[in-house]
Amino acid sequence: MRRFKLPPQILRLVLLTLAIVGSYLVARSFLTPASFGQYGWYRGDALAEIASRPPVFAGKQSCDECHSDILHKLAADAHKTLSCEACHGVSRTHTDNPDILPDKTTGSYCIRCHEANVARPAWLKQIVVKDHYGPKCTECHVPHQPTKTP
Amino acid sequence: MKTKFSRRSSLLRMGGAIAGLLTLSAARAAKAAVQKVFVSTTAPNGYDPTKHKWLMCIDDTKCIGCGLCAEACKKENGVPEGPFYRTWIERYIIPKPKPGSDQTRGEAIVDSPNGGMHGFPEPTLSKDQIEHAFFVPKLCNLCENPPCVQVCPVGATFRAPDGAVLIDPKYCIGCAFCVQACPYGSRFLNPVTHTAEKCTLCYHRITRGLKPACVEICPAEARIFGDLKNLKTDDPIQKFYEKNRVQVLKPHLGTEPRVLYAGLDKEVR
Repeated sequence: MRRFKLPPQILRLVLLTLAIVGSYLVARSFLTPASFGQYGWYRGDALAEIASRPPVFAGKQSCDECHSDILHKLAADAHKTLSCEACHGVSRTHTDNPDILPDKTTGSYCIRCHEANVARPAWLKQIVVKDHYGPKCTECHVPHQPTKTP
Repeated sequence: MKTKFSRRSSLLRMGGAIAGLLTLSAARAAKAAVQKVFVSTTAPNGYDPTKHKWLMCIDDTKCIGCGLCAEACKKENGVPEGPFYRTWIERYIIPKPKPGSDQTRGEAIVDSPNGGMHGFPEPTLSKDQIEHAFFVPKLCNLCENPPCVQVCPVGATFRAPDGAVLIDPKYCIGCAFCVQACPYGSRFLNPVTHTAEKCTLCYHRITRGLKPACVEICPAEARIFGDLKNLKTDDPIQKFYEKNRVQVLKPHLGTEPRVLYAGLDKEVR
């Protein structure tokens, strides 16, 4: 009985295939980032990288650390849902260093919300600016306590 | 029997030995890679994405269309100037039907000048021609089955375990397949970096325990944000669910959005 002998061309083909697959696997292990596949088919480190951006808006609770008196007034009146930074502007730099005032240019004032618009819900108090009395809102209204008069 | 050494046989043996070594190291590398998949490490700032599940709710009856959210989003995330928005406000104006027509309403007019950032102009229709008018804030719908993730050819966009759909800017090749795939139009190509960009739920804020910028700034509490895995007592999300009948955008697509709306009209897409 003759012993089975692998034909040399097949042997060469097998070796070549193994070499190609092997070098692919080695290259892959070098090129794939370590965190790839940590949570799924993506780079797990990307989450921390996206999260590393510094916040711009400070948030209402940071204002509460120093200005709690004003926040108490605000919470008792119709403007209780307003964020400080909606009107006073971006304040992250101010919370880090109180000497730097909030960026006033990024704040916005009464008209932005209270100017009449057909799509605004009826519960919101709205005015038509050109028909409304006064050049300055604060002559008659207190922004932190809108139901009070100055 | 005498062993024969020919040039051919020794070359073959050397080749075999090299291939063997290569496969051995490859197997080791593969093993290490598999181990990495199962060992999960936490992010450097101590935030563990598997312990949170974010949800955004929008009470559309409260939106006053001030555009502060769209503006705050741009500032917070450094979105370039121009028609690029991660969140924006649309105004829907539904006119009354023409007299004598068998329609219940006219065709909706939708506009969003500058994403609603600087307010909305007076509509061309007069008040008595309008049946309904309202604002709808839009953002990434945080799909449970995101079409944008399915089409990404390089694994640059993904759905994190906490429900946020994010983009790895180092992997993104800017092919814009995802921009086309998103049924809610919430992606765009950043003109500076040439990579895709979208709402990250202010990932840098929520991982620090802050609210997303749009939620923080909204003066009408139209946006409610919370963590389903860490519900507080009296959580605003719980209240939102109890108070409202909620719906999602384009439910027929089966994307299972995690942005829930209350008080929407059927015209809203």
